[in-house]
Amino acid sequence: MDDSRPIFVQIAELIENDIIAGALPEESQVPSTNEFAAFHRINPATAGKGVNVLVDDGILYKKRGIGMFVASGARDRLVAKRRDQFQNEFIAPLMVEAEKLGIGETQLIDMIRKEGTA
Amino acid sequence: MSAVVEVSHLTRRFGDTTAVDDVSFSVQKNTIHGLLGRNGAGKTTLMQLLTGQDFATRGEIRIFGEHPVENSGVLKNVCFIKESQRYPDDFKPRHVFTSAPWFFPNWDADLADRLIADFRLPLNRRIKKLSRGQLSAIGVIVGLASRAPLTFFDEPYLGLDAVARQTFYDRLLEDFGEHPRTVILSTHLIDEVSNLLEHVLVIDEGKLLIDQDAETLRGSATTVVGTRQGVDSFVVGREVLHREGIGGLASVTVGRLTPQDRARATEMGLELSPVSLQQLVVRLTGSSRTSSSQTVLEQSA
Amino acid sequence: MSNLTQPALDEARIDRPGRASNILAVVRLHLVNRYSVFAVPWMIMAGIFVVNVAIWWIIFASVSNEADRMDARDGLEYSGALFYIFVYMLVLGIQSVAYTFPFALGFSVTRRDFWLGSALTFIALSAFFSACLTVLASIEVATHGWGLGGTMFASFYFGGADASWIERFGLYFASYLFFYFVGATIATIYQRWRNNGMLVVFGTLGLVMIAGIALVSFTNSWPSVGAWFDSNGPSGVIAWSLVPTVIAAITGYFILRRATPKN
Repeated sequence: MDDSRPIFVQIAELIENDIIAGALPEESQVPSTNEFAAFHRINPATAGKGVNVLVDDGILYKKRGIGMFVASGARDRLVAKRRDQFQNEFIAPLMVEAEKLGIGETQLIDMIRKEGTA
Repeated sequence: MSAVVEVSHLTRRFGDTTAVDDVSFSVQKNTIHGLLGRNGAGKTTLMQLLTGQDFATRGEIRIFGEHPVENSGVLKNVCFIKESQRYPDDFKPRHVFTSAPWFFPNWDADLADRLIADFRLPLNRRIKKLSRGQLSAIGVIVGLASRAPLTFFDEPYLGLDAVARQTFYDRLLEDFGEHPRTVILSTHLIDEVSNLLEHVLVIDEGKLLIDQDAETLRGSATTVVGTRQGVDSFVVGREVLHREGIGGLASVTVGRLTPQDRARATEMGLELSPVSLQQLVVRLTGSSRTSSSQTVLEQSA
Repeated sequence: MSNLTQPALDEARIDRPGRASNILAVVRLHLVNRYSVFAVPWMIMAGIFVVNVAIWWIIFASVSNEADRMDARDGLEYSGALFYIFVYMLVLGIQSVAYTFPFALGFSVTRRDFWLGSALTFIALSAFFSACLTVLASIEVATHGWGLGGTMFASFYFGGADASWIERFGLYFASYLFFYFVGATIATIYQRWRNNGMLVVFGTLGLVMIAGIALVSFTNSWPSVGAWFDSNGPSGVIAWSLVPTVIAAITGYFILRRATPKN
């Protein structure tokens, strides 16, 4: 857990990552709040808050008396969301930095290609 | 949510010293609270007041809605584990665990047995002959196995090694998940417990400095590092929690930053680093504390 | 306080076991370490007894004249050997407040329940130990001093050889209670006021005693003091001891009521 952001946000992201990576397939049950808390050594209320963020986003849903499940279509929606984030969080700063260093568009594309073949 | 602990304008004086100074707060049911502060800040006195062991000079305390002093109905539901707990002469750990169920109605003997094994506590050695860590283990075991609806741990880990402390944190979380209760944990090892806490109380020189949700507190302060000139122009108009520097470099801790602030700092070539709960407490209770610290955090919360 | 919410106590929220069970728990706490409560005092007494038997044997082995033997027997009636175990009771009283009190408070016991439970424990223990001593005294009398003419249990201070078993029991019992409550109350002074309290109390006590001795000496009243002890006899004197015992028990409670265990 890093100190700059609330833990519940980080927990929500960890669960999202597992869904995107396929570790938590759609319609499968996710671990309980207490299991998350014990595994990540965090306060159960905080873990619950993280899970609730995903419930509010429609990524997880509650089955009464059974537990939490991954909603169908959750993975596609998460991937779409993360692509937007990728644009904002990685591409935009990349362009700013490139401009600062005088790296032109073609040069930048070359650099990305090189990274891809490496 | 209902308040298990309610404290209003609580003051405790010993002669000239004011150990607890006009403190007001409340603790919600089934939360884990951290009570943080330096040695002699008033943490133990506060807990002794809350458990009816000490007497308030002024102010009110309500535990489960009642006065705790000499109130057996309230105290039956309270467990206070003190680092410096005394034991009857010639007692062995087994005497402690034999008698605990007579006093704590929710005592779980199986849990106690498991913890005794976890901490490798010898049951038949005289308590006087135990190591500091083994002595602490007795307290930790009683505190967890008593399952009191309101449990206080006052620096419970003295002499416990890293493995044993981790065992304590793990068992605490595990048992708290299954049997929710209200826990107030006083500790110096803030980094170790910061993720366990739901709420944080920081006390310094008897005064309550912070009474805040742990998640809100997280990221409520940031350290800005860069050239003195750059840092100074960035923090102008902001309240500063802490400042240090070498030569042309400056490192300044300020309150919460908006994403715009962060973007601006990056543009200015400044480095931003998060402030951990422990660093925050050190900043706030260190000697260079400014009176504005509290307001900064309140505004940024 | 107006800014506090004052909910009526939610009975379902907290458990409320009866007061009797709290007091009983304190009694059990005092007795949980059976070894130091039951075994140690008897081991001490057995040790004292063995030493006494040895002394008797040496005395009677070295004195052959029948008249001298009678003298020795008379002298042995003034045995104070038994006082050691009463001192042990004093120590138990001190320890119960110095160690068990902070521990009991850590176990969420109220001061009131602690004091009542402790009093009950030590009254019961005193009765038990007194009964044992009474039996031993009867055996001592019946066997003419364990066949050696010695006296330990039926000593002059506890009624001598002629006392009835009820008298003896009462004397032992009163002595045990006196030593327990005085010990416990001295310890409450320490719990409440620490070293300063002890200094003040013992300083005052010392001054009062010196003043008393001076008063008696200057008024030449020693004979009447002796007469008082004579007229009351050992039973009277020890019955009078119930007065300080009860005063100590009550004072101790009120001192402890406002005490905070510290290290």
